[in-house]
This record gives sequence, structure tokens and C-alpha cells, in this order.
Amino acid sequence: MQHYLRWPVHLLLAVVSLLMLVPFLWVFKTSLTGENIFVYPPALLPRNPHLYYYVDVWYAIPFFRYLMNSVFVSALVVAANIVFNAMAGYALSREFLGKRAVIVLFLSCMMIPFQVTIIPAYLITRGLGLLNSYLGMALPLFSTIVCIFVFKASFDAIPSSLIDAARIDGAPDWKIILRILMPLSKSAIATNVILAFIWSWNNFLWPLIIIRDQEMQTLPLGLSRFLSVVEDTTGALYAFCVMVLLPGLLVFLLAQREFIAGLTRGAAKG
Amino acid sequence: MRTLCPFLLNRYVITFGSIAVLVAAWNVYVAMNNDGVITGRVVGPDGRPVAGATVLLSERSLLVSTVRARALTDAEGAFRFSGHRLYHLYLEAEKEGMGRQAPTEFRLYFKGQNLVLREPLHLTPGK
Repeated sequence: MQHYLRWPVHLLLAVVSLLMLVPFLWVFKTSLTGENIFVYPPALLPRNPHLYYYVDVWYAIPFFRYLMNSVFVSALVVAANIVFNAMAGYALSREFLGKRAVIVLFLSCMMIPFQVTIIPAYLITRGLGLLNSYLGMALPLFSTIVCIFVFKASFDAIPSSLIDAARIDGAPDWKIILRILMPLSKSAIATNVILAFIWSWNNFLWPLIIIRDQEMQTLPLGLSRFLSVVEDTTGALYAFCVMVLLPGLLVFLLAQREFIAGLTRGAAKG
Repeated sequence: MRTLCPFLLNRYVITFGSIAVLVAAWNVYVAMNNDGVITGRVVGPDGRPVAGATVLLSERSLLVSTVRARALTDAEGAFRFSGHRLYHLYLEAEKEGMGRQAPTEFRLYFKGQNLVLREPLHLTPGK
């Protein structure tokens, strides 16, 4: 009976999933054929596919350099997010005076868009002498409030008796985080890795403001430069999009199981 | 060894390891095939090899076409270029009194890829 009720739901979900994949298929198909997206009649499968648009992208701009810049900045952001967010999440999962005020402050800060704080952020980065540097690009994303709360929810779900036992054994706070909480929070770590990576990977406005040298540009900036270099953009532009999308997609697919567990962790607490 | 296996067989190591192997294999292939050699033949309207035809190797940018090299065909109608560093190129052939082949586009997967023309360049009178 249960199977009879489930299969139509699964069928519907499968159809909806396939519909969600159509834009991705369209981008991939155009990157292989270069045909106009408004061509009629539209074809779902590529006709005479080839990979030459990818070659055009590779040579039209210093793609490898931009890729390495993006990878380096994203790696910095991911590492910093795990360290700082875990520490902040641990602090918020403990009891201290003014905890509610700090949480309210964090939540209210989430409502302020980055564009509003971009001038102070620029002035601070300039004051630190980090303009036109990898560290300067990564700094505003070193800790994100959403990810702090992901860690907090994960740490809250761990029985406090474990932490108390470690404390009785004389473990300092950093050891409790590193040896007890972090191994039990793999899903929170995966969520942090994915979100931090994707936010850093797609970041356009901040690098645009603080980067001066072409050598320091990341892939989103490279995309805007590419548009100014290549005239017939249809196929090559879509190939560029696929090349920029793939690393993020790969990270998400690899860590998706932990990511989904991380997002729902805490929801079932108690 | 037993403790090493689970570490090596997780999906992260397999995925990134496979990518690293593919990249390495591709680079080896590129290193073995990037001498920049282009070989082919030129035939006349009757399909016979044309000796002494001029073949031009050119590159096109947004606005201009620049000739990068030229070669003459031998008695078999064969021509050869070497040391080109292009990935998107045009070949055209011409011989006075025999005709001309308009610039034909060739796209390669990396700069300086060796290319053997499957079809000969056909000279057509009056073009």
C-alpha cells in the first residue's frame, strides 16, 4: 500500500528534477554547439558538438591563472570559515552574560546587505595594507553568520555530558572543540565548506573593487574581461560558464550528503 | 596498508586523484603532439596533385587576417609547415593558371597541435 502511494510522488519528483536540470543542459549544449539559444525549432540534444569553444576560453584570457587565483582565495576562505565559525559557534553554545544580545546582534547583522558595508570594508582593508592581495579578497568572507549558526546548532545537539567529561579530564576549550566537537560535526563542517566555497567562488563585487592587477583577478572578473575580448560570445561564453560552474558543482556533489544533514541538524534537536 | 585503504578509497581521493591522472595524461599527450607540424596535399580541379602551389597559413583576429607562414608544394602536391603556435588557423592555396582554394578554417585543441589534413586542398579555377 505504501509503495503504491509513493511511486506517483517519486515520479512527480523525478519529472520536476529533470525540469530543473533543463537550464544546465541548455548551457552545456550551447557550450558544445554555439548555436543561438533562440534557434527554432529548439533541439534538446546537441548537433555537431565539439570542444573548441573551451579551447577559445582557455587561450583568450589567462584562464589557468584566474582559476588558480579563485582556488587559492576559496581555500583561504574555507579554512578560515571552519576555524573562526567553529570557535564562534562553540562560544554561542556555552552560557555567558549577554549571550542573547550577541545572538540578536548577529541576526540583525544578517539583514544588512554587503553593499552597504562595502565602503567601511574597503577603508579597513586599505588600512591593513591588503588592497590588491589574496588575503584582502578573502578577508570579508573569513567568517559568515549563517555558518556560525550551523556550527552552533551542531554543537548544541551534542550531549553536554561529553564536554563536561572532557573538562573534568582537564581539557582546555580548544582541545574540546578540536578533539570532541569537530569529529562529531562532520555535517556542519561540510556545510561550511560548501557555502564558504560557493560564496567565495562566485564573489564578484568585492574583488572588482580591491583588485588592480589583471594577474590577481579571479574567475568572475575574468568573465567580464572575456566578454570584452571575444566578440562572438555565444558558444565561448557558455563554455566559460561551464568551466566556472564545474568546481563548485563538484564540491557540492562530493559533500552533498553531509551538507543536507548539516542543514537539518538541530531541527530535530530534543 | 589496511588503515591506508579506507583513506585512499574515499570519494574525495578518488575524484581528485582521477582528475589529476587525467590532467597528467592530457599534458603528456600535448607534449608529444605539439611540434606545430601541418602536412597536407594540394590537388587541381581534376584531382591530380599540383606541384609548385603556394599554401598560406594565416591567423585571424577580430579585424585582420595575418599570414604566419607560406609553403610550396612538391612534385606530389604535398606541403608541410612546422613550428606554428596557433590553435585556430586558416589554410589557403593558390597557383597561377590553376586556380585557388579559399581560406579554410581549422580548429585545434591546443597551440601547436600537429595536423594532418584528411582532405586535400582543392584548387578551383576562377575563384
